[in-house]
Amino acid sequence: MRARRLFCLLSPCLVAAATATLCAQTPLPSVPAPTGTEGAAAPRRAAPPRPPSAPTPRWPDGHIMLGQAPGKLGYWNSGIGGLTGKGGVNLPTNLETDEVPFMPWSKALFDERRRTQSKNDPHVRCVGPGGPRQFHTPFGLMIYEIPEAKRVFIISGGGPRTWRVVYMDGRPHPTSDDYQPTYMGHSVGHWEGDTLVIDSVGYNEKFWFARAGFPHTESLHLIERISRPDYNTLKYEVTIDDPKTYTKPWTGGHYIYWTPDQDFDEYFCQDNNRDAEHMVGQ
Amino acid sequence: MKLRIFGAALILGLATVPAWAHHSFAAEYDSKKPVKLTGAVTKIDWTNPHVYFFVDVEDESGRVTNWAFEMAAPSALKGSGWTRTTMKIGDVITVEGTRAKDGGNHGNARAVTLNSTGKRLGAASSEGR
Repeated sequence: MRARRLFCLLSPCLVAAATATLCAQTPLPSVPAPTGTEGAAAPRRAAPPRPPSAPTPRWPDGHIMLGQAPGKLGYWNSGIGGLTGKGGVNLPTNLETDEVPFMPWSKALFDERRRTQSKNDPHVRCVGPGGPRQFHTPFGLMIYEIPEAKRVFIISGGGPRTWRVVYMDGRPHPTSDDYQPTYMGHSVGHWEGDTLVIDSVGYNEKFWFARAGFPHTESLHLIERISRPDYNTLKYEVTIDDPKTYTKPWTGGHYIYWTPDQDFDEYFCQDNNRDAEHMVGQ
Repeated sequence: MKLRIFGAALILGLATVPAWAHHSFAAEYDSKKPVKLTGAVTKIDWTNPHVYFFVDVEDESGRVTNWAFEMAAPSALKGSGWTRTTMKIGDVITVEGTRAKDGGNHGNARAVTLNSTGKRLGAASSEGR
């Protein structure tokens, strides 16, 4: 299932869109902690109250920083959150799981993954967390923008310690003729006000893009929108566009909160992974 | 060091810092099979993605079985007061946790008590998360 046609369709508009507009805006008010429940595979537990936050940090040109302010330590404490369900750290705009526009085959596969309690999740075998999975992989997340390189790097502290690059230089996606589908895909980004918008294609089918186990094909196209309403809060939202798996695009996301004054520790899933051989499921 | 498996031990009030594992808890462990074992530590793997320790447990007939228990990753255990030298080979400990679904002699630890001091530490289990 190649993404050739999708690459060709997306490329022209992405070239235009990737001309970044860096806007200095008044910091948004602090985001109150969501309450209630979380997504399909996520726990249903009320989020604790959040302490008051400093304003969103900004670069000298006014656009927001998605990582540490200069001289500071800290990282995004990823690990919880899902793309469906409205409670916990999840966005109040999320669909419920039974509202996801599955096709019959993808609904059947999703149900099977749930029935077997995710025992076949590639992530258990230390496979890279493509797409939104990177944002709910435990043990930390960092987002570094390097304007001189016109790139954003998104770094996972957990899983197989992966990173992905988001090209901010206006380049289009490659065509499938010169691109082998990958776990992390091909990502291009631009700023829309205070939101980093990342458009990604070129994924292989060897990973689960969300812990819940939503299926996908190589036609997967993701549009991620990342913002930082205050210093301690990252808002992550993604539109899942895979016309071979879902009858229409759908959107979900969650908040991630800041862990101040420390870096994340080294973590390699591969180091002493004993779990895969013990996955029984139901 | 007697084997003690409690079929319905409800363990509350643990000072754990819950942390997501890299895998589904329910696919590997059976929440309906809590275990509580006492024995001497024989090996400690202070590693990612999970810290493992091994403990020799003697049952009432005198037979010794070596059990393996998974805890969270080292970075998550820090929040529960652990260091890599908190538990040493030869220490007699009591572990409370959940048995593996595959029936093997291994499980997921929720808390560990060092019997020499009575100090009880949460294992940052992902159960219920």
